[in-house]
Amino acid sequence: MLPTLGKLVKVRDLADEIKLLRVELLDGRSEAFKTCQPGQFAFVSAFGLGEAPFGIANAAERGPEVDFAVARLGTVTTGLHELGEGDIVGVRGPLGNWFPMKKFQGKDLVILGGGIGGAPLRPVIQHVLEHRSNYGNLSILWAARRPDLLVFSDEYDEWRTAPNTTLFLTVDSPDEGWNHNVGLITQLLEKVSPSMENAITITCGPPIMIHFVTKMLQEKMGVPPKDNYVTLEARMHCGMGKCGRCNLGEKLVCVDGPVFNMEEVGKLLETFL
Amino acid sequence: MSNSPAPNKQWKISRIELETWLDEIAVARTLIAPRLVSGIFLYRHVTNSSEIAWSEEKSESPHTSRPILSSKEVFFPPTERLFTIQKSGQEIHLEENYPNWETVVFGVRPCDARGVKLLDAVFMDTIPVDSCFARRRGNTTLIGMACKELNSNCFCTSVGGAPDDAHDMDIMLYEADGEYLVEAVTEKGRFLIPGGEWKETSETPPKSTSNGQFPIPQKGKWLEHFNDDYWIKISERCLSCRACAYVCPTCRCFMVRDEMIQPGEFERIRCWDSCGGENYRRVAGGHKPRAEKGERLRNRFYCKFYYYPEQYGLNAESACTGCGRCIEVCPAGVDITEVLLDLEKSV
Repeated sequence: MLPTLGKLVKVRDLADEIKLLRVELLDGRSEAFKTCQPGQFAFVSAFGLGEAPFGIANAAERGPEVDFAVARLGTVTTGLHELGEGDIVGVRGPLGNWFPMKKFQGKDLVILGGGIGGAPLRPVIQHVLEHRSNYGNLSILWAARRPDLLVFSDEYDEWRTAPNTTLFLTVDSPDEGWNHNVGLITQLLEKVSPSMENAITITCGPPIMIHFVTKMLQEKMGVPPKDNYVTLEARMHCGMGKCGRCNLGEKLVCVDGPVFNMEEVGKLLETFL
Repeated sequence: MSNSPAPNKQWKISRIELETWLDEIAVARTLIAPRLVSGIFLYRHVTNSSEIAWSEEKSESPHTSRPILSSKEVFFPPTERLFTIQKSGQEIHLEENYPNWETVVFGVRPCDARGVKLLDAVFMDTIPVDSCFARRRGNTTLIGMACKELNSNCFCTSVGGAPDDAHDMDIMLYEADGEYLVEAVTEKGRFLIPGGEWKETSETPPKSTSNGQFPIPQKGKWLEHFNDDYWIKISERCLSCRACAYVCPTCRCFMVRDEMIQPGEFERIRCWDSCGGENYRRVAGGHKPRAEKGERLRNRFYCKFYYYPEQYGLNAESACTGCGRCIEVCPAGVDITEVLLDLEKSV
């Protein structure tokens, strides 16, 4: 359980109380992340306080540095927020399974991110943009409670201008000057209604959002459960299938997930809600 | 030293020979045995055989007392340092702390040895290997003692164990007519037997008294009754105190966090934890799955008989050793055997 040391090479505000930490792994350990797949996660240590799991927020093609989006919510994340460029953190990973990007080739992708739930979806978007011709249409539905909680807003232009790529934004509470959608992501989804004929959907956000979005995709838009992907959050303390904390019924989110399709989720004894 | 089976060899020794042997072991290695600590029995370090707690002191061949905590804590301590952290300015230095001493545990009960074996499935047989656990396991020899009979809360025979099951030991002792029959079970155990001094025997170990079995619900039953109100009903008296998990030989949930040793020096520790705790699964965003007590208690039973066997490839085996400690320790009278019988009966 010994982490690799990493240096913060970039720290920037991503949204209100959310920072992007870019880590350069030391001691030649960035090798381990070269084969990192979209959807995997890692533990980040604020030494002296502890460690917490975060979805890896960039694709390996955009490495060798590793990005993490950190919302200030608890002891470890507050500790990480207090660090600056040049400071040392610990990184343990990559861990968990990933989105089967090869299997998605030739398909349209509909990506639904809510709040900081967008972070583990960014490597999927980046991977598709890096290998654009391998995939069909890319629709990104991006939501947050308020405009200042939308993550990666400085990258929206890159996403919008990529071929066959569309970005839709929505917030619950708009501010002055907001000229995109207002309302829940489910309302946006209904309005946009992307073609689901040859599509894979990928959802990440708060559990309640995942619940309603995947339900709508399945029941109203005909997405088969096996093509309806989610990445789930769970409290974890080891990430290696030992500490027992993240079980959803007989599955462990850390080693059997965090990526599941709804067919798999449907078979679980316990719900993720 | 390997865990491979030793050629079936047995010796018969007196109480004095046993004590002499244990005294010799205690000089060369760390000897852990049942010991009376502030009024309760625990597996603890003893410096010689006179510190060991025997349950029948007046008898010619007394048995050791059964500790209130299982031998799990020898391999997976309640709190354990994983590494130390030295911080100086922007410099960080990490150092792992591997337990590195040869240990012998004496007086291990068959249920406890089985518990250690079940923990192997999590910490050693499932990749990645947990280096702290593996190091302790490799350095430790288990000397078991067969129970003569099952006590009132024991049910090892219902979950695949037996009071005289030597399988998971390195050495097994059986009390017999004022003497002890010693069986070397593994090569590692054979290595501890003093050569030539003991009288060899070909006697069959004495059979322990076993008071029957009850059927354990199979997978189908667990799948069928997950959403029953029964779990809410049974949990009404549960206090979520988590004592059942701490005394359990196979509950292995843990938390990891950093503690300060002194300014600039920290340790990353792991501590026992339990799925019974209210905030056990709370995530940073505030979402709190398994908020109901019934859901948490249900998880404990399901883990023992369904999840854990499924996750760590135990086939039909359960992750319960039938030691009955959770029944003994529960202040609210939650009885795992009652739950198993209720589930088996349910339609």
